[in-house]
Amino acid sequence: MNTFLNQLKYFLIAAAAQVLIFNHIHLFGYATAYIYLLFILKMPRFATRNRQMLWAFALGTVVDMFGNTPGIHAAAATAVAFLRNYILAMFIPNGMTEDFTPGTRVLRWSAYIGYTAFCIALFCTALFMLEVFTLSRPLHLAISVTSSTLLTLLFTTVIESLNGHNR
Amino acid sequence: MRALFNFLVKHNDWFLFMLLEVISLVLLVRFNNYQGATFFTSAGSVAGNVYNIFLDAGRYFHLKTENDGLLSQNLALTREVSELKEQLAEYRNNQLLQTDSLVNSIKSEYTYQTANVISNSLNKVNNYITLNKGSNDGVRSEMGVFNSEGVVGVVYLTSKNRALVIPLLNSKSSISCRVKGSDSFCSLSWDGGDPRYSNLIDLPRYAQFEQGDTVVTSGFSSIFPGDLPVGTVERIDDSADGMFYTVRVKLFVDFSKLTSVFIVGSENYEEQSYLEQSKN
Repeated sequence: MNTFLNQLKYFLIAAAAQVLIFNHIHLFGYATAYIYLLFILKMPRFATRNRQMLWAFALGTVVDMFGNTPGIHAAAATAVAFLRNYILAMFIPNGMTEDFTPGTRVLRWSAYIGYTAFCIALFCTALFMLEVFTLSRPLHLAISVTSSTLLTLLFTTVIESLNGHNR
Repeated sequence: MRALFNFLVKHNDWFLFMLLEVISLVLLVRFNNYQGATFFTSAGSVAGNVYNIFLDAGRYFHLKTENDGLLSQNLALTREVSELKEQLAEYRNNQLLQTDSLVNSIKSEYTYQTANVISNSLNKVNNYITLNKGSNDGVRSEMGVFNSEGVVGVVYLTSKNRALVIPLLNSKSSISCRVKGSDSFCSLSWDGGDPRYSNLIDLPRYAQFEQGDTVVTSGFSSIFPGDLPVGTVERIDDSADGMFYTVRVKLFVDFSKLTSVFIVGSENYEEQSYLEQSKN
C-alpha cells in the first residue's frame, strides 16, 4: 500500500509538471519535452509488466485530457511501458540480478543514457506517428521526433545529475 | 480448454497491452469522428477546472499588454462610431434609407458574446482552444470565434461551462473565405507547421488579386458574418494540377497571445444548416 501511495505521489508530480509547465514550452515550434516519461522509466526493475502498463496508461490519459489528444499519449506511453524491460535488459551488466530503480546510482552514465534515449526515441516516434496518422510529410515528422527526443533526453539527464548529488 | 486457459494466464500481459492500446485508439478515433463526450478533453470538468485555476493566477501577468490592446481597440472603435454617427446623421437628413429597419436587420441576424481562453496550443497538427463559456451560456457547436484582430476558429464541442474550439491552426479547420475585392471564394485550411500562416486552397485562376491583399470571410456559411478579416496574401502558387491557385496567407491573429475572444452565432443557423443538409 505504501508503495502505491508513493507511486501516486510521483504520478501527480509528473502529470502536473507535464501539463502545466512542459506542455507550454516549444523549442523552434517542433520540440516539446515529455518529461513525464521519467515516471515510467524510473519504475523498479521488477515491477510487474501489468502494473507498469496500467500506470503508464493512466498517466498518458491524464496528459491527453489536458492536451486534447485523446488516446495518443495513452497509446504511446503504454507501448513504452510494455517494451521497457526488454530495453533495460540490453543496458544492464551481465550477472546483475537484484531489483533496482534505473538510475546512475546503479548503472553507469553511458548505460543510463542509452536506456533513456532508446525509450524516449521509441515514445516520440509512436507519438508523432499517431498524431499525424500519415507519412505525407516525412521530413516534418523526422524533425519533430528527433528534436523532441533530444530535448526530453536533455531534461531527464539534467534531473538525473541533480539527483545524483544527493548521494 | 485447460491449455487455452494456461495460455491466457501465461500471456496476460500481452492481452492487457492489446486491450489498453485498443482503448486508446477507440478514444482517438471517436474524438476525430464523433461529436459527443467532452470528458476526455480540456473542455471536460477535470482538465477545464484545473486550467481555470491556473489561468486566474496567471492572468495578472498579462494585464498590461492586454490593457494596451484594449485601449487601442477602444480608440479605433470610438473613431469608427463617430464616423458612423456622422454618416447616419447624413442619411437621416437625406432620408435615403429607412435606417431603423436596416439597423434592426443587422442586429437580429447575429448574436455576440465574449469569452476567455483557458487553454491553447500551437505546435500540434490538430490544435485546440478551450473557452470558459459553454452550453449554459448559449454556446453551441458551429459558432464562429474571432477577436479584435481577426478570425480565430469555430466551436467544435461544448460542455456545460466550457467550449472546445477548432482554431485555424487545425488540419480539420476549413473556413469559407475570399480575397477582398474579388468575388470568388474558397476554403482556408492549415497543413501544420508555422502557426503564423495558413493556405487558401483551390482559388479559381480567374480571380483577380495580388500580394498584400486582404483575405476576409465570405459570409456564405452561416457560421461567420461576411467581411471579417482573416489575413493578407503572402505568396501565390499554382496548385499541383495547375488548375487553381494556392495562396499562402499571413494570419492577422497572433495565436500565441490569445486571451479574450468573441463568439458569434447566427439566428438563422438551424434553418440554413437544415436546408444545406436536406439537399444531399
